Amino acid sequence: MRYDSITEAIGNTPLVRIDPAVHGLRHIDLYAKLEMLNPFGSVKDRPAWHMARPLLAEAAATGRGTVVELSSGNTAKALALLAGMHGLGFKSVTNRMRVPEVKELLLLLGAEIEELPGRSECLDPTDTEDPLTRFHQALSEPGGSYLHTDQYYNPLNVEAHAAGTGPEIVADLDGKAPDWFVACVGTAGSSTGVAKVLRAQDPSVKVLGLVADKSDFIPGIRTIDEVHQVGLFDPGTYDTIEPVTSQEAIDGMLTLIRRCGILSGPTGGAAYHGAVRRLRRVDAGLGGDERRAAVFIVCDRAESYLSYVRARRPELLGAATRAAAPLTSPDDVPPREPVKVVEVAEAREWLGGAESRPLVVDLRGPHAYAALHIEGSVNIVDELFDELLRGGLPFSKSRPVLLACPVGEKSVRYAALLTRMGHPDVRSLAGGIVGWRDAGAPLVHE
Amino acid sequence: MVQPLYLRPRAEEPLASLLADGALLHSLADGLGSPLNVLAPQRAVDNAGAFLAVYRRHRLGGRVYFAHKANRSSALLRELAAAGPRIGADVASVAELSHALGCGFTADRIMATGPKDARFRWLAARVGATVNIDSPGELERLAALVRTCGFAPVPVVLRLSAFEEGRGSAGGVRLLARRSRFGTPAGEADALVAAAARHRDAVELTGIGYHLDTVGLDEKVRALERCVEVMDSCLAHGLHPRAVDVGGGFGVGYVEDAGEWDRWTTALTDAVRGARPPLTWRGHGYGLRHENGTVRGAAALYPAHRAVSGPAYLDELLRHTAPSFGRPAATLLLEHLHELHTEPGRALVDQCGLSLARVVEVRPAPGGDGERIVRLAANAGDISLEEHGVLVDPVLVPRGPGGAPPGEPAGVYLAGNLCLEADLLTRRKVFLPRLPRPGDLLAFVNTAGYAMDFRAHRAQMQPAARTVAVRRHGDGWRWCPDEDYWPAGGTDEDGAPQQERERRPEGERA
Repeated sequence: MRYDSITEAIGNTPLVRIDPAVHGLRHIDLYAKLEMLNPFGSVKDRPAWHMARPLLAEAAATGRGTVVELSSGNTAKALALLAGMHGLGFKSVTNRMRVPEVKELLLLLGAEIEELPGRSECLDPTDTEDPLTRFHQALSEPGGSYLHTDQYYNPLNVEAHAAGTGPEIVADLDGKAPDWFVACVGTAGSSTGVAKVLRAQDPSVKVLGLVADKSDFIPGIRTIDEVHQVGLFDPGTYDTIEPVTSQEAIDGMLTLIRRCGILSGPTGGAAYHGAVRRLRRVDAGLGGDERRAAVFIVCDRAESYLSYVRARRPELLGAATRAAAPLTSPDDVPPREPVKVVEVAEAREWLGGAESRPLVVDLRGPHAYAALHIEGSVNIVDELFDELLRGGLPFSKSRPVLLACPVGEKSVRYAALLTRMGHPDVRSLAGGIVGWRDAGAPLVHE
Repeated sequence: MVQPLYLRPRAEEPLASLLADGALLHSLADGLGSPLNVLAPQRAVDNAGAFLAVYRRHRLGGRVYFAHKANRSSALLRELAAAGPRIGADVASVAELSHALGCGFTADRIMATGPKDARFRWLAARVGATVNIDSPGELERLAALVRTCGFAPVPVVLRLSAFEEGRGSAGGVRLLARRSRFGTPAGEADALVAAAARHRDAVELTGIGYHLDTVGLDEKVRALERCVEVMDSCLAHGLHPRAVDVGGGFGVGYVEDAGEWDRWTTALTDAVRGARPPLTWRGHGYGLRHENGTVRGAAALYPAHRAVSGPAYLDELLRHTAPSFGRPAATLLLEHLHELHTEPGRALVDQCGLSLARVVEVRPAPGGDGERIVRLAANAGDISLEEHGVLVDPVLVPRGPGGAPPGEPAGVYLAGNLCLEADLLTRRKVFLPRLPRPGDLLAFVNTAGYAMDFRAHRAQMQPAARTVAVRRHGDGWRWCPDEDYWPAGGTDEDGAPQQERERRPEGERA
């Protein structure tokens, strides 16, 4: 297909049936609306373009302006790309970004990011200057050139789905609305817009809204309290609102990835999990040859959420395989391995001796080493030392070695490891650099 | 029957045992009046020990300074003074400094912080307490004072602030921060360090510090690594500060159950948007408001249930990776051979005290649907949890023997003893397991941090709360007025020093 602009590729996403052998529903056909296949990678491409188009057209004429939005994810991503296409900047104001890959991607796209401070610890209940209020004040300052898309309140967000997502679903189901529509609630734009279209087609359509469990975090989904702060949110849209945990979202994501060939992120996983959980109860009440159809949205792709998965399910990313590696880490050495530990006075004498000339290896970080160290020592930070030792001994066995770390704990373990690897004379500095300093031994700042 | 929305308090020892001893609490309140503060100062020593245990786990030296402003009790200060050299006092006025000295803290264990007048500066310099320098001007004034009076050089810690300003920052992200009226902007640290070097005959730079008003670990660890950088830059001036001072703000969990806190805050949102009857007096929203079907604003509430607080929060901070160094905060400090100073206030007196208020009257609330107003012989200044945004239920301590008579849960409003519409101990409707009766006591748990005397006043000549300090004695308790409490060895009771185990925190043994 040939387009003049990437924006023409937004929308018209596929509706894919999930194999019943995977979800196990006997009377319900479950379809995934693959919004992850939008050109910028998510369901947010639609509202971002819808909301930004009128603002961009205006600003491109003057050539100045910065698009701003409160977003830490896909809306920011889409807006950054759209702004860039129009020669404008994009600024995202967010709470602390919790998914590092998304943050890095936004920086790659040229976005400017401002993060809001954490909650006050010593609370002043009369303080009204919350950071969001300041943000809104800044937007409306005279002479400002901010283009605020305002996704939580902008009716064009809903309109994008009422004009696109909703009608596409109906068309792909041969002109019929599904019996159930399942969406995660973030800005409430997709659920509100799609529900409007489906109910116009068939008022009996049921809508399931999914929110994040209150003490949990799923990207792009709000908790039950937070949804009430969304201007577009109308509780009347939903027949049911149910919570999903991050673990359930990852379970759902795994099923979609490993069994359905759908490279969904955790938000789509939450939608799948919540849909199947609810529909199982519906399915149990159906008999004979009754058929129902349900649609859920796969919002975006998995790749940006590796650290999110690592924080919650490290074993999925191979975290447990390390035990099988050969002996190259000080943690693997049994603590009882005999090690030569030398006190500060003894060490000073040894270092001062004419014949031996031991090599002093300082295992601390480079900044700490640069600030103060034992004269003549070499700095190999522990992480790097680990790497070096994987390849074997990084120095000659003929040269005695004194290992030094902050308090003499790590150095003992590395000394044990080096001994195990065959070094004949490696010693650990008792009490470490701290002990060295406290004994009044000299440290230099070069 | 009402569906109660409890926010039941977390009560550990010794408060749990005190709450179970209704006879003791009633006899104390009968004799000493309502309101009455009850303190268990030895718990503060245990809390300090828990902080020091975190230091030890990370192999860090340094002190835990109790932020005196959280509570003016002598018993607390004396127990902490008795407990060992790694526990200090952080004082914020000349009276607090005098008090700490009088309670047994030597000057080397005292840090003078906050806004200082000439008297405060003079006494701190005279005794040789560490002065936490708030601004370049203060450093100049202190140096001049030391020279004029011929005092020995005074140890100083430089307090920095505004860490995020003018910094491109890690990863090209600009972090917004709350403005603070304290400290010297980090961007001006070089000049401040140079001034400290110039005045080395009068001041001895011992540390660099910050105190940030946030629960966010990211902000704190960024400030910490900036302090480490400034510590490094001191070497070029021939200065050798030893400690990074990370201030306070470790927090306390007031509500035991996370589910209760979640349910209540959700109900508040629902009430504000009109989806359920109000939870508060006159529909107060605690900062949330209703606009065109949407809830706006942010709830100005302390996170009353906290999964991680106090020493555990310090532990998390120390494990947190410093973004530009790429090493955990504790490793960073240890590798740079730095000690750690902390100034916990609230967290150090966690579970150290409760405040008692007598129920005077119970009457129907006007227009309320079976709601009652419970009037107490205490006011919002005496028990100022609400003033600090802390929402937590009091514990009903019934009058008379035989425990609580049966009854159904009741939602009540707690009114104070002032002739003032606004004098409610909390604007929240409080649910109690049954309706209280005149003569019962309500025990507000965990008030030792900022909620006991911080806001107390003598408006309308109502009595101020007395404070008693208790310690275990056999199976029961001994009590005395706070000012008469002295640690083990400091009392003549029974004609001999008390046979108590030596109360040194765990972290002190090594």
